[in-house]
Amino acid sequence: MLMQQVINGIVVGSVYGLFALGFTLLFGINHIMNMAHGSVFMWGAFAGLYAVIALDAPIYVALLAGMLAGGLISVVLDFVAFRPLRRRNSPEFSAIVSSIGADLVLLAIAQKVSNTAILRFPFDAFPVVIFTVLGLRIQLLQLVIIGLVVVMVFSLVWYLYRTGSGQRIRAVAYSEQTSRLLGINPGPVNMQVFFISGALAGMAGVLIGLVFNSVHFTMGEPLLLRAFVIIIIGGLGSIPGALIAGMLIGIVQTLSVAYIGSGVAEAIVFLSLFIVIVLRPTGLFGQTTAAMRVQRA
Amino acid sequence: MNFLATYQSLFDHMLVNMLLAMSQYIVLRAGVFSLGTAGFTALGAYGSAILITKAGWPPAFAIVFGVALGTLASALLALPLARLRGVFQAVATLAFVQIVLSGTQNWQSLTNGALGISGIPHSVGTGTLVLIGALVVGLTVSLGRYSFGRALDVIREDETVAVSLGISVPWHQRRAFIISGALAGLAGGLHASSSYSIMPTDYGFALMVATLAMVVLGGRTTVWGAIVGAIVLTALPELFRVFAQYRNVVQGLLLMLVIVYLPRGVADTLIAMARDRRLRGALNPSQWTNEEFPHDEERSRHHYQRRRPAARGDHRSAASADPRELPAPRHSRSHGRVGRHLR
Repeated sequence: MLMQQVINGIVVGSVYGLFALGFTLLFGINHIMNMAHGSVFMWGAFAGLYAVIALDAPIYVALLAGMLAGGLISVVLDFVAFRPLRRRNSPEFSAIVSSIGADLVLLAIAQKVSNTAILRFPFDAFPVVIFTVLGLRIQLLQLVIIGLVVVMVFSLVWYLYRTGSGQRIRAVAYSEQTSRLLGINPGPVNMQVFFISGALAGMAGVLIGLVFNSVHFTMGEPLLLRAFVIIIIGGLGSIPGALIAGMLIGIVQTLSVAYIGSGVAEAIVFLSLFIVIVLRPTGLFGQTTAAMRVQRA
Repeated sequence: MNFLATYQSLFDHMLVNMLLAMSQYIVLRAGVFSLGTAGFTALGAYGSAILITKAGWPPAFAIVFGVALGTLASALLALPLARLRGVFQAVATLAFVQIVLSGTQNWQSLTNGALGISGIPHSVGTGTLVLIGALVVGLTVSLGRYSFGRALDVIREDETVAVSLGISVPWHQRRAFIISGALAGLAGGLHASSSYSIMPTDYGFALMVATLAMVVLGGRTTVWGAIVGAIVLTALPELFRVFAQYRNVVQGLLLMLVIVYLPRGVADTLIAMARDRRLRGALNPSQWTNEEFPHDEERSRHHYQRRRPAARGDHRSAASADPRELPAPRHSRSHGRVGRHLR
């Protein structure tokens, strides 16, 4: 029973990790906290769901639709909410406030579109196949999710560390000023980063929608709050940190829901954040204290 | 009278929101990026509501207890917070809000869980709220005007400069944070005893966003910013009932537009513009009149001397002359620099 819960925790946690990966990527490269990331996630889930319901598309098309929608919304967010501020070199406070504004708008539209209803994927959207291994019940969906997350993470790492575009992204992350001097135009690079981050969130949205089989306009907020916990525990801007902390939080959460109660689970998650932030503010994989000395409003 | 009756609850709400905005303003002014106001408000509201309904305390004592609860919580939270910066402070205070919220939702025996506490006697009237509001505004203004406020301004602008001036950053930030907690606790207690019921969802993400929005909209370096923001954002949804469905859209767009185009907030921008105008008037030779201190010959002369001490050779003769008859000053380097800076 314990092992079963741990497996469930790993599956949910890897999706959390996927979501937090995009969030931490934005922080590592653009040094912003995108408070609208939860809404991007939610819109990804909506896009996947509508692809299945309205177009009768197979599930992999739904995943692609979710990724595309998430990526595009994220790029639009960059243009509307962040680019004007970046041009003026505003403090991070401004970026947080304007992304909260964007979040409110995205949420309100989703509420209007879905009529505040909890939407569900059709029953046969994903085939229900259950394997029994050593007395543990493992669903095909869970295997697919873990496989997808592994593929996504490896291709992201490959992209960032083995391609020219990835090199440019890392150069801009190091210093936008210096990369400009080296002849890199930060505009398209930022666009790419926002697209990747949004696509990861959109994919996580479809996956979470499938796992819990519910899509609702408020589904982004708890995930965003959890992503804070994950990236702080893992270390801001750290890719392995986001993944490992995501798994950890997933396991802690499922275990405390199963053995203590769903209400207390939330408190435990945030208490663990508090403990980490006090004992080791840079997180488990935080490299420097540079991120701590960010500009203030 | 009819008008008053219709808008009385709105007015009460506005006054409570003003206290909340003040609580958010004071930490932001100190350069602490705290989102904890919602959590302290929840503590104050629940503390006083439980004492009134379950222990039968008189409301005044219960509200004082709410303030004490907010103060205590912020004093405790200030200790770990002093080690953190920027985004980390935001996330830590956010975690605090979430912990308080899940406490109010899950401590069933004390807080009734998601149902909230209802049947709180309506014991705080508009008069009391106005009185308390005026008192708090007065206190905050006077606090901000003297050395404490100036220290906060320096810390917000540049901590290194603050340290080099001998200003203790943790000391001031901790005090600002504790004042913020006390004000939020007060607002919570007043909210509980001026409305009939409270629920955990009253103090969640929405309240956090609303409080932040008020301060951002109004301006976060003067008290007037917080007040203007609270008034506008409380009144706006009521005045535009037609847009009730699009309330969040309007609020979100407003936040984005203000932070992009008016980063200092409405009230702060206006105040800065007025100050700018005045200074420019004082520096522009063609406008040198006694307008600034029309009834005070001595001060007006002193003012001009201070502005350009190097421009005159003999300062004693300049001091005795009527400022209006002074020859136009040479456009010295420092003068040009100041002018450019203002523009």
